[in-house]
Amino acid sequence: MNNIILGTLTSFRALLVFPLLCLYVLVFLPPAEADSGKLVITGSSTMAPLLLEIGKRFEATHPDIRIDVQAGGSSRGIADTIRGLADIGMASRTLTPEENHLHGTVVAHDGIGIILHVSNPLQELTNKQIRSIYSGETTNWQQVGGRDGPITVVNKAQGRSTLELFLQYFKLSNRDIHAHVVIGDNEQGIKTIAGNPNAIGYVSIGTAQYDASHGLPIRLLPLQQIPASLDTVRTGVFPLSRPLTLVTKSSPKGLTKSFIEFAQSSKVHDLILQQYFIPF
Amino acid sequence: MLSPSNTIGETGATLMVWTAVTLIATPFLWLSGDLLWYGWHQLSINFVVSVPQNAGREGGIGPILVSTGLIMTVCMAVAMPIGLGTALFLSEYTQNDQVSGRLIRGSLDVLAGVPSIVFGLFGNAFFCQLLGLGFSILSGGLTLACMVLPILIRTVEESFRAIAQDQRLSAAALGISQRATIQHILLPAAIPGVLVGCILGLGRAMAETAALIFTSGYVDRMPTSLMDSGRALSIHIYDLAMNVAGGNSNAYTTALVLIGLLLIINLSASWITKKWTTLNQLPS
Repeated sequence: MNNIILGTLTSFRALLVFPLLCLYVLVFLPPAEADSGKLVITGSSTMAPLLLEIGKRFEATHPDIRIDVQAGGSSRGIADTIRGLADIGMASRTLTPEENHLHGTVVAHDGIGIILHVSNPLQELTNKQIRSIYSGETTNWQQVGGRDGPITVVNKAQGRSTLELFLQYFKLSNRDIHAHVVIGDNEQGIKTIAGNPNAIGYVSIGTAQYDASHGLPIRLLPLQQIPASLDTVRTGVFPLSRPLTLVTKSSPKGLTKSFIEFAQSSKVHDLILQQYFIPF
Repeated sequence: MLSPSNTIGETGATLMVWTAVTLIATPFLWLSGDLLWYGWHQLSINFVVSVPQNAGREGGIGPILVSTGLIMTVCMAVAMPIGLGTALFLSEYTQNDQVSGRLIRGSLDVLAGVPSIVFGLFGNAFFCQLLGLGFSILSGGLTLACMVLPILIRTVEESFRAIAQDQRLSAAALGISQRATIQHILLPAAIPGVLVGCILGLGRAMAETAALIFTSGYVDRMPTSLMDSGRALSIHIYDLAMNVAGGNSNAYTTALVLIGLLLIINLSASWITKKWTTLNQLPS
C-alpha cells in the first residue's frame, strides 16, 4: 500500500503535472485590489524601512489602499519617478538643479558622521585631514597625529546619496578618492569599520549612534568641533546633514498627495524616531 | 612489512587528509554554531507565523515565508517542464557532436556562469517592464527559473546519459517507440537524477538575493496574489543585516529558518531517491 502511494507520488506524470497545477491555481487566486488604490514608492535604501512603516500605518487607516515600497538607491528612485515606474521616489538628498522640474517634499533629516574603530586613539580630524586621507595623500595614521598603522579608506558606492553629500561637503570628486573598501548600505559600512581598527568611513549618524550604544566598536568623530549626534542634527548646527525627500513628477494630487501629507504629519513622528531619523 | 620512510609517508598522508577534512568542516560548524547561538533563543512558532514589525526588528517572518514559497513554486513549475524537455532533447534527440546540441550546451554553460545580479537586471527589464508584470512574485519566480535552468538541464541530461545504451537498444529491438521508451524506461530510471537537479536548482534559488531585489521586490506584506510584490527570506536577511540598525538578531533567526528549510528539502530528496531506487530494483 505504502509502495503504491509512493509510486504514484513520484511517478513522472505527477512530477510534471503537480507543479503546473499549482501554478494555475496560484494564477487564478483572487487578484489584488484595483491598481488605482496602489502607490509604488522606490528609491533610497536608507529611507525604505521608514517608508515601509509609514505605509503600513497609512494602510491601517485606508483599508483599500496598498503602499508598495521598493529599495534600490536614491538615483534609482528619481529615475523611476521620471519614467513613471514609481508614483513617489525616495531620495535621501536635496534635488540637484537638473532635477528641479521634479517636486520634492522633505519628511525627515539625517546627519552623516565620520566613524573610526573605537580602539583608534584619534579624537579629532580637521576637514583638510579628512580630505587628504580620502584623496590618498595621507596613508598612515601617524601623519595626522595618531598611532602607527596604514589607513583603510571605506567609501560608499556610486549612486548613494551619502557619497554625493560627502563629496560635495569635502569638495572632492569620486575620481580623486583612493578607496580600499567600497560599501553600499549603512550597516555594511559600520560592520566593515567595526572589524578593522585602522579603518575610516562615513555613515548615517542615527544608525551609528544606535550601533555604538549597542556595543559595536565604533566611534563618531566631531566635525569642525561639533559633536555628531541626533541633537546637533536636529538643531541644525551639525554641518553635514541631508534631507530625506519624497519626489514626485509634478506637484502631488489625489492619493499621492494625501500620502505625502500623512508622511509629513506628526502622526508618524514616532516612526521616524524609531528609524533613528529626525522628523521634519 | 613497511619501511620506516614508508610509515612516515603514511602518517603524513593521513595527517594531510585529516587537515583537509578539518578545514572543510570548521567553517560549516562555525557558521551553524554561530547561527544557533544567536538565532535559536527567539525561534518559535510565533516567530515563523507572525508579521514583521518596526522594519523587521520585531515580529516574525510569516508573510516572507509565504512569499518565498510562492516564488519557489513559480520557479520550479516553470523550470521543471522546460528543463526536462531540454534535457531529453539534448540526450535523446541529438548526437553529441551535432551543431544544435553544441550550441545549446554552450549557451547553457555561459548562462550558468552569469552573475545573479545580471539575471536580476534582465528580469527587471524583461518581466517587470517589457511584459508589464511589475514588481511581483511572478516576475521573481520567472527570473529565478531562468537562473536555475542551466543547472537543472545539465544535471538531468547527465542522469539520462548515465542510463546504459543497452536499454535503449533493447527497447528498439522490441519495436517500442521512442516516446514509449522515454516514458516507461528512461524517465523512471532517471527520476533520482531529476530530483537531484531540482534540489540543486531549488537550493540556488532559495539562497538568491541579487536576482530578486529588482524583480519580486521589498514589500513584506502577506501576498494575496502572484501579482503582488513579496520579499524573499534571503532579501529579508540582507536588509536586516545591512540596512536596519538593530536588525541583527532577527536576521540570525531568519537565516536559521532558511538553513533549516534547505536541510529539510535536501533530506527529503535523498529519502525519496532512496525509496525510488529500492522500489525499482525490487518490484513487489
